[in-house]
Amino acid sequence: MMYRLAGFTGLKAQIFKISFMAIIDALLIWMFFASMAKEDSSTLSAVIAAIFFFTNLIYFAKFTLPLKFLLPGLILLITFVVVPVAYTIQMSGYVFKTGNEISKADALPQIEANGLTLDDTAPTFDLVLGKVDGKWAALLTSQVDQSVLLATEEKSVVLPAGSYRADDLGIARSTDGFDPVTEDFAANNEESIINLRFPYKDNSFISPQGIDIAAVLTQSLVYDKERDAFTDTASGITYIDNGRGNYAAESDPSMTLTPGWRAWNAFENYTKLLSDPNVRGPFIGVFIWTVSFALISVLMMFAVGLLLAVILNQKIALRRFYRSILILPYAIPSFMSILIWAGMFNRQFGAINALFGTEIDFFNSPTLAKMVILIVNLWLGFPYFYLISSGALQSIPSELEEAAAIDGANNRQIMSKIKLPLILQILSPLLIASFAFNFNNFNIIYLLTGGGPTNVLQGETAGATDILITYTYKTAFGSQEQNLGLASAISMVIFLIVGSISLWSLRRSKVLETM
Amino acid sequence: MATNSLKSKKIGSHLFIWVLILFTLFPIYVVITSSFNPTGSLATSSLIPQIWSLDNYKVLFNNPAVPYLTWVENSIFLAVANAAISVFVGTASAFAFSRMRFKGRKLGLQALLLVQVFPSFLALAAIYVMMERVYTVFPAIGLGSLGGLLLIYLGGSMGVNAWLLKGYIDTIPMELDEAARIDGASSFQVFWIIFFPLAAPVLAVTALLSFIGTFNEFVLASLFLQDVHSRTVAVGLQQFVGQQFGQNWGPFAAGSLLAAIPLVILFLSLQRFIIGGLTQGATKG
Repeated sequence: MMYRLAGFTGLKAQIFKISFMAIIDALLIWMFFASMAKEDSSTLSAVIAAIFFFTNLIYFAKFTLPLKFLLPGLILLITFVVVPVAYTIQMSGYVFKTGNEISKADALPQIEANGLTLDDTAPTFDLVLGKVDGKWAALLTSQVDQSVLLATEEKSVVLPAGSYRADDLGIARSTDGFDPVTEDFAANNEESIINLRFPYKDNSFISPQGIDIAAVLTQSLVYDKERDAFTDTASGITYIDNGRGNYAAESDPSMTLTPGWRAWNAFENYTKLLSDPNVRGPFIGVFIWTVSFALISVLMMFAVGLLLAVILNQKIALRRFYRSILILPYAIPSFMSILIWAGMFNRQFGAINALFGTEIDFFNSPTLAKMVILIVNLWLGFPYFYLISSGALQSIPSELEEAAAIDGANNRQIMSKIKLPLILQILSPLLIASFAFNFNNFNIIYLLTGGGPTNVLQGETAGATDILITYTYKTAFGSQEQNLGLASAISMVIFLIVGSISLWSLRRSKVLETM
Repeated sequence: MATNSLKSKKIGSHLFIWVLILFTLFPIYVVITSSFNPTGSLATSSLIPQIWSLDNYKVLFNNPAVPYLTWVENSIFLAVANAAISVFVGTASAFAFSRMRFKGRKLGLQALLLVQVFPSFLALAAIYVMMERVYTVFPAIGLGSLGGLLLIYLGGSMGVNAWLLKGYIDTIPMELDEAARIDGASSFQVFWIIFFPLAAPVLAVTALLSFIGTFNEFVLASLFLQDVHSRTVAVGLQQFVGQQFGQNWGPFAAGSLLAAIPLVILFLSLQRFIIGGLTQGATKG
């Protein structure tokens, strides 16, 4: 065997390595510049630069042999697991939801734009659009007193009679230095025209409402940069930054201006989980069902799997045949079987109702829906537990059983006093892992019941069968409100729970000490 | 008395097994019959089908709105690429952890252990926002692309695979690579020429488990792949029975059956190895 590799040493290997790295480097450099060319992608550029730097350092330096083997896995793990987790932690500290998605800098002009109101005490104007020194300007004839204004984006001046030419209707058409645009040109630029603002009086300006008419808009919300507050000039209410991504009225914090922005507030989402009744209620309900669902599922699967293993470990007829059939649920892709079960429990044309001649609406009753989930999960999971129990049973030395039999123990005693404790000891890491898996068993809930039934009319945000992970999904990607900040906070809670369960289980099994 | 209770116990055992077998086979029976049932429901008035037809299968291959073969291709691409790359890269990491002694090894292993218990879709919202950003710069690996989804799968399977493979590699005797080293082989040569072929069977099993896992994955795929032509089998078939298409069970059953049969055959023929892999963690723990 050694001779075959002899050809792949020295120069050849060096050339191969260098050309391989050259390709990788070229790709990374291209990606780096492509990413630098875009706005808002500094993080991405930094990640690419870091990958470039470490790859070259590690594959061309001499002292880093283990890292040469670890690096590809490390890059994937850090980029697609560690970075998202870190980002989740960061997002959980933001008010980041529908209505609070953009940055504060982007939100300010939008709030100001929303604070514009049509001033019905001011006159409307007949509008002739044109350019002054190449910039947008307007000749405005008041519909009330036929006075004429020449407005640019900087200022507007009243033109004395005689300094402009009017048509038969008294509408000013042209004046010196004003260069009217054609109607076609105006029609083609309607979008930019709508956004034109010509100053009128304090806090109000003239804005085109079409290509030949303009009205006065009042800036009713005025931004005070020093106080970082908005004042409503009409009502006199002051809106201040409430620290949660909105400007809220000083007198009534529930009155907020839209849009809000993505605001840093480290504990807002976490305190919401514990104190806001609209969030805490469903969260606690979901939490309890998650734990009971995972616990009951594991216990049921284990009970059935173990019993089956005990029976099939005896010499009974057709043993192999039984075994091949009974592990089928484990071999069939689970998303398919879950959906098939969902169809079978359907009220109108499901096979279960057809079998019993009933019309039970399983998915409309919280209790029945929960039972359906447990039954289907049992179907999916018992073969796995049969397989591992069977393996554990066979690994118990037969001497133990013989010794107990000699001491006068009967079969039941051997089972309950000797085998069962041993099996539990052997399988406990797998039982705990299975609990952790079911704790986050998204597929079965999402595909079977979708978390329902949900009483939407009563404003419920979580369904009766939602577990934490599907609740997180709904919170983040729901159809009505998408609250990425709160969803990230729930994710962190799940992280902590599953992580501590796993750590505790590893401590128990002493894996950490023998590594 | 004793023989009587033994007999009733035996009857009880058989009864238990037969109830379980009926429970197991019932959905399988339903999916087979409804795949041939042109009315599109999972069971009409009777459980025994009255009419048989291949209409549902024709829908999968003849209807342009249902690019079933493209879905299969996408699924196979993702599953094969994820299995191959993650096993290869994972083995390299596992090799370093198992065979080399270096600073931070123990810490690295503990970190790996913690990372591998976190399903990557817990960071779903973050991944989504992140890949949305990547899309604006590199559409080929951003949101909505198979490439981007593959990268996320790879990251997610890295922890589990490296950890699992390290367990296997520990069981391969050290003497083999020591002998090769004495003959002058470098670490990379030991890994590639001695060690990789030796570990091939376990690598194959890990790859198979990874393949099945990817094939089954639904959450990330459904969130990621919006375009009808980039869907996987799981996401595509789900659309038949989800809100959009109404309850159209016939084509769903046919498509599921076609996709499941090769997997079941693969699983049953390799079951001894797979089960060995499953129970290893238990019996050695």
